[in-house]
Amino acid sequence: MRLIRDISDSSAFWGAAWVFSCFPDVHTICDMPIGCFAMLGIGVTDYTDALPYLPNFTPTVIREEDVINGTEQAVRRMFNHLRDTGKLENKSLIVLSSAESELIGADHSNLLRTLDPQARFFWSQSLEHDEWTGRDRALLFLWREYGKPYAPSAAPVPRRVNVIGPTLGCFNAPSDLHELKRLIAGAGGEVGLVYPYETTIASTPRLLEASVNVVMYREFGESLARELGRPYLFAPFGIRATTQFLYDLGELLDTPREQVETFVETEKRTTLQPLWDMWLGPQSDWFSTVNCCIVAGRSYADGLRDFLQGELGIEVVWASGQPRAEGEPDNIAIRKLIHERVPTMVFATINEQIYMAEVNSRSHFIPSGFPMPIVRRALGTPFLGYSGAVYITQEIVNRLYEMVVDFLPVDTVIRDDTPAVAGGGAGPVEEDERTMLWTDEATEKLNRAVEQIPFLGRVSAIRTMRKAAEHAARARGVKEVTVEILDETLLRRE
Amino acid sequence: MTDGLPQGSNDLIQYPSQTPFTSPTCRLHPQTTCPAFVALRMLSRLEGAQPVLVTDAGCFYGLSFINHFYGARKSILAPAVGTAELSSGKLQEAALAAIEEAARDPNVSLIPVLSLCVSETAGLVEELLPRESHGKPVVLIRMPSYAVHAHPDAKDIVTAVLLRRFADTASPTEEKTLVLLGEVFAADPLMIDGVLRKMGARVLVTLPGRRIDEVRLAGRGAAVAALHPFYRESLTVLRERGVAVVGGAPSGAEGTAAWLHAVGMALELDEQLVEQVAREEEEKALRFLDAQPLKGFTVLVSGYDGNEMPYTRLLVESGAYVPYLSTSIAQSALTAADEAWLRARGTEAVVYRKTFEDDQKALLHWKFDLAFSGTTMLASYAKHHGIPAVYFTNILSVRPLFLSGGMIASISTVRELLNRRHIYRQMLDFFKE
Repeated sequence: MRLIRDISDSSAFWGAAWVFSCFPDVHTICDMPIGCFAMLGIGVTDYTDALPYLPNFTPTVIREEDVINGTEQAVRRMFNHLRDTGKLENKSLIVLSSAESELIGADHSNLLRTLDPQARFFWSQSLEHDEWTGRDRALLFLWREYGKPYAPSAAPVPRRVNVIGPTLGCFNAPSDLHELKRLIAGAGGEVGLVYPYETTIASTPRLLEASVNVVMYREFGESLARELGRPYLFAPFGIRATTQFLYDLGELLDTPREQVETFVETEKRTTLQPLWDMWLGPQSDWFSTVNCCIVAGRSYADGLRDFLQGELGIEVVWASGQPRAEGEPDNIAIRKLIHERVPTMVFATINEQIYMAEVNSRSHFIPSGFPMPIVRRALGTPFLGYSGAVYITQEIVNRLYEMVVDFLPVDTVIRDDTPAVAGGGAGPVEEDERTMLWTDEATEKLNRAVEQIPFLGRVSAIRTMRKAAEHAARARGVKEVTVEILDETLLRRE
Repeated sequence: MTDGLPQGSNDLIQYPSQTPFTSPTCRLHPQTTCPAFVALRMLSRLEGAQPVLVTDAGCFYGLSFINHFYGARKSILAPAVGTAELSSGKLQEAALAAIEEAARDPNVSLIPVLSLCVSETAGLVEELLPRESHGKPVVLIRMPSYAVHAHPDAKDIVTAVLLRRFADTASPTEEKTLVLLGEVFAADPLMIDGVLRKMGARVLVTLPGRRIDEVRLAGRGAAVAALHPFYRESLTVLRERGVAVVGGAPSGAEGTAAWLHAVGMALELDEQLVEQVAREEEEKALRFLDAQPLKGFTVLVSGYDGNEMPYTRLLVESGAYVPYLSTSIAQSALTAADEAWLRARGTEAVVYRKTFEDDQKALLHWKFDLAFSGTTMLASYAKHHGIPAVYFTNILSVRPLFLSGGMIASISTVRELLNRRHIYRQMLDFFKE
């Protein structure tokens, strides 16, 4: 029996709802109990996308009697309410199934044909599929139901590039999209539809106008790109992949190679210049002394690994993408890994942040994926493309600075009227300075404890830990530091 | 109004209003969070508890997402539940595997098992689950969101289940002690205890809490008071065990005095002493209310989980006009007294089990200076209209509410909010289309 800890991937109706809710000209009735609506329609989406609630999304509010008799009456009731209050005017209606409605076998395809022949039912398969498959299938469904039958047969528009891009619930999407659009323009393209994030369902047939599609994420959207039958590329991470992407896209668009070359050269001296400067500076020395782990969406996990390890030389101790690939740790294993040893930097989600807190880790946590409550609506925090490479490097260096400062000695101020003792410390000055005897076991333990601390902070950290243990020993009136005393002060430190 | 407080928009309030308020016929969006989230939040805050969820992936995702942020930084365990488990009778086996895994963890001392929509639909049999695993108690709580209609009910259900299982009824009753029910600001029980001690009594414990020992202790109380008016099931459990029940809450000048008298009766305290302490509290509150700090302001109260009724009494006593109060809780004997009190003082509509549509309609029915919004949906709707609106839980549940001290703290907050009215207008002016 497979067990799950703190699940990382949601289910298909979440993925589908996050696709459909992007369109202002769609209203979705989701066949679900009130709890799912509160989580998906109000709670979580506020923490992933900073939207107060999904305005074009209504639950059927499955009740006990519906579980027994089916949800047809509930769908009918909601449909009538929405229609009577004008909420369906100029909108396409989609009815979406949830795990609960699927369990009771509520298929509303026939019902919808009688209520509104234009409406569509999407069976999300939430008991089998995760959010990524849910999004992928939803995008394909949109094309087949709302696009393909109405698509023009004309040739694609030259230089037009669509982005099969974010939906709601995609970490850091606005910044990444912003960077991607910049790159497309740099390769001589002209951005057409950003589907579904920045468009309407009515424009679905126009998907065929693009000469090239860029699929933003490896975890979903490729099925649609394949079915559109135009060449497609995936959005790039890191310097090398981004450069390659620019040349590939330029070639597909028949952009003169010199034009792309000029763009890349300009980028090196502008967008990417800070990365080159940090590389020339002492910052890059540290990269070989730190390590990290990654838990994030598949594109992020692979992209970060390639950039951090392959280009900056930072060791990636382990990584796990969503959806998880063969051999990658699940959350049960991740929790154990983190409890055993936390890398210097943890690019991850709230789950890993909790596992770090469980062992009082002082490593640096860098938000990199969902689940976690975070606002990433500003455009200046990309992970993708050239701008992403610079932003990530900057983020890492700043964390390292913080770490150095955090471990430096400090004289804490006691906020009462106790006068300071002349000469510094509060104890007998001379006694405090004598080197104290440490048992072999205690010394060894101290060394082991220090190994848990990143290189940058070790010098200061060992001094602080040593002083604390010696102080505790003196306070007890003993002449040597034992493992027991050290343990006690290490605990207190945490 | 000497401290720079802006004047209310309704200097001469006419009530009742010209046209009576009626609920809309289309009530699409019930306003409650998932009951299971509230249950999970309470259970994951218990020290040593390892919650096990028996549910599908999407449900697990939503609940743990919110709970990790709002409840506790606690890892949650679940068996993988998909079509195979639900249709082939493997659900029981799945639950047992998760319980076993939880019980093997040396840091775990309690295993609450939450059975949610899909597992309740498929059928999880309580008799086939262990009551203990590796010597650790296993407690099943059934929480399908299709049957438990609002999240306050979930608080009651969880509290009642824990009381039934753990309340100590073998030990003798501790005389003159009061058990408090309600998720209140942590300073409130201390303030209540301080006043009770003057009357020769004390607060024994406040539930829901963080430790099972607190639940045990609750069984020894002489009386219990539900500070929020929805702990019906929990009160029943304690009443069956001979614990006296005190109604209402010590909110506002009148409410506080009445409540202290009720506590005096239930605990058989010295009548004169109770009278004296009650009068002191009432006088303290009245001195503050003399200035009628909220006179001339019209306030909408859209509550959420029970403390909106005591809270609205405060507003009304402070001079505010509160024509509309809505809540997610159900109407019951526990709400009757507050409702009657409010209706006698200008509250025209009290809506239970409210929907977003009720609140939307109400917001435009009167001219409000301030909206306390039980949900972010309504808060955002009010801000769209340039009306200062705050999310009830975020702003009010982080301050004391009860007795004279709570009153002063809470009303001061309201005055600060009213002072910020122009900011909401300014933002709207910029962003409106």
